[in-house]
Amino acid sequence: MDCLIGIVGKDFVLTAADTSAARSITVMKSTEDKSRDLNKHIVMLYSGEPGDTVHFAEYIQRNIRFYEIKNGIELTPKAAATFTRKELATSLRSRKPYSVNLLIAGYDITTLSSHLYWIDYLGSSVSVPFAAHGYGAYYTLSLLDRYHRSDISLDEAKILIKKCIDELKTRFIINLANFKIKVADKDGIREIEI
Amino acid sequence: MSIMEYNGGSVVAMVGKNCVAIASDKRLGVQLMTVSTEFPKIFPATDKSFIGLPGLATDIQTLSERFRFKINMYKLGEEREIEPRTLAHMVSSTLYERRFGPYFVEPIIAGLDKHNQPFICGMDLIGCINFAKDFVVGGTSGESLFGICESLWEPDLEPEDLFEVISQSMLNAVDRDCLSGWGAIVHVITPEKVITRTLKARMD
Amino acid sequence: MDSFVNNFKKSTSTWEDQSLLDNFVNFDPVKEFSLPTFDIPSCLNPIEFLKAHTDENSTTECRIKLEHGTTTLSFKFQGGIIVAADSRASSGSYIASQTVKKIIEINPYLLGTMAGGAADCSFWERELGRRCRLYELRNKERISVAAASKLLANMVYAYKGMGLSMGTMVTGWDKTGPNLFYVDSDGTRLKGDLFSVGSGSTFAYGVLDSGFDYELSAPEAIELGRRSIYQATFRDAASGGSINVYHVKQDGWEFIGNYDVGDLHWEYQDQPKPSLIGDVPMFNIQS
Repeated sequence: MDCLIGIVGKDFVLTAADTSAARSITVMKSTEDKSRDLNKHIVMLYSGEPGDTVHFAEYIQRNIRFYEIKNGIELTPKAAATFTRKELATSLRSRKPYSVNLLIAGYDITTLSSHLYWIDYLGSSVSVPFAAHGYGAYYTLSLLDRYHRSDISLDEAKILIKKCIDELKTRFIINLANFKIKVADKDGIREIEI
Repeated sequence: MSIMEYNGGSVVAMVGKNCVAIASDKRLGVQLMTVSTEFPKIFPATDKSFIGLPGLATDIQTLSERFRFKINMYKLGEEREIEPRTLAHMVSSTLYERRFGPYFVEPIIAGLDKHNQPFICGMDLIGCINFAKDFVVGGTSGESLFGICESLWEPDLEPEDLFEVISQSMLNAVDRDCLSGWGAIVHVITPEKVITRTLKARMD
Repeated sequence: MDSFVNNFKKSTSTWEDQSLLDNFVNFDPVKEFSLPTFDIPSCLNPIEFLKAHTDENSTTECRIKLEHGTTTLSFKFQGGIIVAADSRASSGSYIASQTVKKIIEINPYLLGTMAGGAADCSFWERELGRRCRLYELRNKERISVAAASKLLANMVYAYKGMGLSMGTMVTGWDKTGPNLFYVDSDGTRLKGDLFSVGSGSTFAYGVLDSGFDYELSAPEAIELGRRSIYQATFRDAASGGSINVYHVKQDGWEFIGNYDVGDLHWEYQDQPKPSLIGDVPMFNIQS
């Protein structure tokens, strides 16, 4: 039931993830951050099977950190997405596969460009200008199609993501009270209010 | 819905006169929802051969990486490019390795061999090779593709005519399939060069 | 004496009643108002039997194929009601037709939309048309949209659980003004201002909600309806073909046009995206 959204702009990526952690019919927590920073410029949003999500996200986070310490370079968003995809695809044919859907959003400091990768629990990965996971995708993708431009500014992207959240609040049966919004650009990752 | 139809997508390959062509659609979906319209399903193997992989997206990507690795290793070991026929058997063995937990793809291989003789073949998901002299199809619009290829294809098509036939076959077949389409890409392989074109298609 | 007795054989009513009814000698209320009768599987539990043969998820080999996958929408605005729908019929992942008329003209004042089983929708909305005509002849005035939609809801409710599949919007203009009702095969009937039905409805809702304003002009409203269906056909694999648009006005509905999505996509592609900042008109209206 979680909802993740990502938008690529001219020189940034804007992401939103709902903050409710539910179990059965109860909301256990309404301020959960469903993302992990993979490095200074890459943020990974996750949704899916509770337990699997955080475990997998932190496993990826630590391995990418380890690689960076070992090799003394920062991974590009593409490299991070490829590594993560491979881990998920391998896990798919194991005894107990991870059931985690991801958005990997990051700013590539080598090419000075922003990227967003949509990865599902099967390990299908694709680079997209905008994406959404969960039931929220059914309501927001058409909005993003309608308003997204490749040269969208941060202010416009914020309005667009607010449009998406408002649509979910009016149409989606589940009350997603709050969203955590993050931006990844050349200065790194920061949380913002909209 | 079956696993083979989870992400959608189709590939077709055809033989012409001293040339071969391979085409695919560009959709990646999750059942009925289209997620991307820029998802590659055809991968270059050598300068004169391509592997098309319709099926489950995660396996398309896993296999394309494994094949790239194996093709490079072959090149390093043998100090020559892999022949399409050899490539087909390599793909087949790779699939049969997973006989009891298969990769959900139906590979299609198209290329010219060292004598510039056309070669195409198709495979099922556990590696049974279908060597064809005319055309091979795969993916969610496989049945529609068979129908239209049967009526449009003829022997000894020149590269430009082959391009026209494969493009029309692809476009018209995916127009009868919910899960394929949203653009198409065609490669025509001739002894001199590979002609790659993207096709404008219906986006619904 | 015999003739006297025979009178009582036919009916239990008195002489006075009988003479009154003479004017309606061919009118049989039981026949006219009864629901159409269908053969029901003669087994212990017909509902369970039908579920096995009509349910999408059932594994029975001889499953009855139903048509699914649609985007339809309709909304009220100051100038009446806009009704729009795609035209794809799919059977599994195979596209059976790209030219289905999913907006059914019940009569010159009523429109119904089609989502779910094509046969179910067309049959019951035709039956609704017949009943509306009978009502009109009997009462010398047109049936209200509320009453018409209630007739439809009651008819399908009688077959609840037996595999009927329809999600429809009944729209029209009556004494009370423009009216819009959602009726489905569960028996739900909702009065509303804006609905979208079908597999692509969530995509259509996204665009529709963001661009909707009751004060929209007619060309703007038509464009909004068309745009919303288009965005749904792009993302929803089971919707596509062409878009039919209708405008319901005081003097009945008007057919606006049929737009092929194959061409419309490239037409829209060339238009600039709407600005997100400031009070800019949301839709590009072509005159």
